[in-house]
Amino acid sequence: MTDLLQQLVNGLTLGSLYALIAVGYTVVYGIVQLINFAHGEVFMIGAFGALATWTLLFQGTTALWVLPIMILGAVVASVTVAVVMERIAYRPLRGAPRLAPLITAIGISVALQEAVRLFYPGAKSKIPFPQIDVVTGPALSFAGVTVQRAAVFTVGALLMSAALLWWFVNHTRTGHGMQAVSEDKDTARLMGVNVDRIIVIAFALGAFLAAIAGVAQGLLNANVDFRMGFLAGLKAFTAAVLGGIGNIQGAVVGGLVLGVAEALAVGFIPGQFGGSAWKDVWAFALLIIVLVFRPQGILGARVVDRA
Amino acid sequence: MSTSTDIETTYADDAEKVSLWDRIGRPVAPFAWPMVLAGAVILAAGCFLSWSYTDEVLGDLSIDFYPGAVQNLMIIAAVLAVIFALMYRGPFSRLGEWLASATALRVLGLGTTVFMALVIALIGVQAGGLVNVMPGAWISFVGAVLILLGAAGLTPRASKDPLHAHLPSWLEILTIVALLAIVLFGAAYVLDIEDGTVFSLVVLFTGLVAFTLTRAGFFTWVGIIAQTHRRVLMLGAVAVAFLFPFTQDGSDANMSIATQVLIFASTALGLNIVVGLAGLLDLGYIAFLGAGAYVGAMFSHSAFATIGWKPNFLLVVIFGALVSATLGLIIGSPTLRVSGDYLAIVTLAFGEIFRLAMGNLDGQDGPRLTNGPNGIPAIPDLEIGSFNFGETHEVFGITLGRFANYYFLLLVVAAIIITVFTRLNNSRIGRGWIAIREDEKAAEAMGVNTFGLKLFAFAGGAFLAGMAGTIKAHHDVSVTPDQYIFLESAFLLAAVVLGGMGTVAGVLIGATILKLMPEKLRFVADYRLLIFGLLLVLMMRFRPEGLVASKRRQLEFHEEDEELADRVEEVHLVEEQEAKA
Repeated sequence: MTDLLQQLVNGLTLGSLYALIAVGYTVVYGIVQLINFAHGEVFMIGAFGALATWTLLFQGTTALWVLPIMILGAVVASVTVAVVMERIAYRPLRGAPRLAPLITAIGISVALQEAVRLFYPGAKSKIPFPQIDVVTGPALSFAGVTVQRAAVFTVGALLMSAALLWWFVNHTRTGHGMQAVSEDKDTARLMGVNVDRIIVIAFALGAFLAAIAGVAQGLLNANVDFRMGFLAGLKAFTAAVLGGIGNIQGAVVGGLVLGVAEALAVGFIPGQFGGSAWKDVWAFALLIIVLVFRPQGILGARVVDRA
Repeated sequence: MSTSTDIETTYADDAEKVSLWDRIGRPVAPFAWPMVLAGAVILAAGCFLSWSYTDEVLGDLSIDFYPGAVQNLMIIAAVLAVIFALMYRGPFSRLGEWLASATALRVLGLGTTVFMALVIALIGVQAGGLVNVMPGAWISFVGAVLILLGAAGLTPRASKDPLHAHLPSWLEILTIVALLAIVLFGAAYVLDIEDGTVFSLVVLFTGLVAFTLTRAGFFTWVGIIAQTHRRVLMLGAVAVAFLFPFTQDGSDANMSIATQVLIFASTALGLNIVVGLAGLLDLGYIAFLGAGAYVGAMFSHSAFATIGWKPNFLLVVIFGALVSATLGLIIGSPTLRVSGDYLAIVTLAFGEIFRLAMGNLDGQDGPRLTNGPNGIPAIPDLEIGSFNFGETHEVFGITLGRFANYYFLLLVVAAIIITVFTRLNNSRIGRGWIAIREDEKAAEAMGVNTFGLKLFAFAGGAFLAGMAGTIKAHHDVSVTPDQYIFLESAFLLAAVVLGGMGTVAGVLIGATILKLMPEKLRFVADYRLLIFGLLLVLMMRFRPEGLVASKRRQLEFHEEDEELADRVEEVHLVEEQEAKA
């Protein structure tokens, strides 16, 4: 029983991380029907943005008050990259054959990884991420189940972000604009919604959550790596599809389900094919199964012609 | 040159550019033509003088009346300028009716000016100060500027459509043969350059000449005669490829690159069937090459091979290809239900699963098949009959080393793949693929078996990659999972996209560029992935149809371009007429 609870805790931690990134895929997809394949890199840039903020301003400090400023640095880095990316790479391709934006996304993804590897000092190998008081440190223990402090931060960050996002989408003018554009772009434009602006905001929102995920990942793993975006991005995409791409609640649910499924696969698949060596294989297998048999996801999404 | 009755005219320049050039050129217009000629003569004359004080910069440019490599390039440019000038007015003016000589001269003038400025800057930087630049370089620079200004003063004229140019066959064939010979000796010459900077300059210059000739309309004509004399072209290309090792005189360094290019190009051609012809994006394609390589390794005589059976290599090739094709069928089967980006993600996931599985099947986390991350090392060289691929051989007094042996084998494989590719492309199957690519629903409604054809594209492409993989295992000596990461798939895709989806020549060029650049330019090697990532973005933005575009494909990316649509239609009509005749 403790074992199961422990795996559940691990799964929910991982799942929160996936969910934070998955929202970015889903928001952008819901509005422009584009899989922003480079979103995993936005997450990675966020982690490096936080690290750079810390190294430049607070080298050696571990006090908690540093954390909000690090998060701010992460958000600035991620949002800038995402918005620039939308402006110079994706916007000119609107209306191009479907292959074009996807290939562009792969190009951006590789270029961003390489740019960080080549130009961030020391990034050719893993860089230690600063440990902050309160949110990192000795693990907490409840009835035999250990919970990392960073895990609490991650889950907390997801809850807060999700609540904020829900409020933003449902209770602000811009949020209503987003809903309108995702419903019908042309009609929204006729009603006076600035579609270009809404699309930029969608990219920025996704980047905002990805940046927070980047900080959380840094705290959880105690290091960052220029490659961290690829796998995380792919898993988060799985989560987004699992929940029903284009559906924001779905992304959160999908992330949590994927995280728990992965943790349970590690803990409970017996024999040679269990254990952490195969966990990514199971995650990818899940991705394929969902894409093939239930492309609309758990919570369902508008069925779009995928041709 | 005989002309056909109706003369179609095309304007090489669009209105905006003409106005800019004209503004620069108006003052010199009355004496523009002599100015170009004089510029060319001055440019060439400067090349015979010393360019640099020291002999350590860009090869050796310091000796009077003994032009070095870079100076030779500028002499070629000067000759080209003279030829185009004489086309504009003078003895070649009949040729000038067909080629846009003024436009070509403008490109050439701009290019040589930039080139000379670059060379002067390089001498200044590398030798420590512009003091080291000798008068010769400045003279050549002035010549280049004169060509540029003079060309601006010339008036671009409408040239006739090369589609209606009918030269005697022997002349057309001679052109093809001459071009192929230039490719062969050019490749041998370029690969011989040790100095990275000189190499870049030569590549830059080649690009400049190619661009000049393209703007002149020369390559449009070459494309048309290549269509008419397809057999000659194929035969000649095979001969050139076959003769290449003989120009290397036993040196393994370049042959090693050449074999890598061939393996890469063969795989990219296989991918081109899936992406270029059928329009299905496959992001896990490297797994098929990997499957072939693992089969080749497991059945090899390596001490680390995990399977005791050592069949004949021919059997292994077929077996590897079949295993790969089976994987292709499995990966392709979701196409029944998913398409577009979802399919791309499914293939990506399959590719990752393949790599992870190969890394796990080490006896600990699964059955022992692949030795996990260590892979299967020490794969011996191939031995077909009594011919050992590891030994060197003497042919006509020229030594052919290990890599040359593999080169010939890979050449055969590449030839097979190209044949399969072109035959499929021109068949009922190929037309089915095009239909699927352009509109799947319409294709299905017209009775195209879409699922079967898509599955066949996957299995066929995988079959060819698997074949190449079995040879790669022996060529590389060892097989490990980290050779088959996602980046490699992306790299293959980049070759296809860069060269031109759905074309053979394009993919060959793309593969060569992507493999050759990092090998020859060490400073590029580290930035290779960054450059190629940006390249993908830029290509999609500015030329999604690739360097060598198939006209039909171009039309798919530029649907609003009415002129292009008419042109494609016209080319088809002429082809049909010729087929009937």
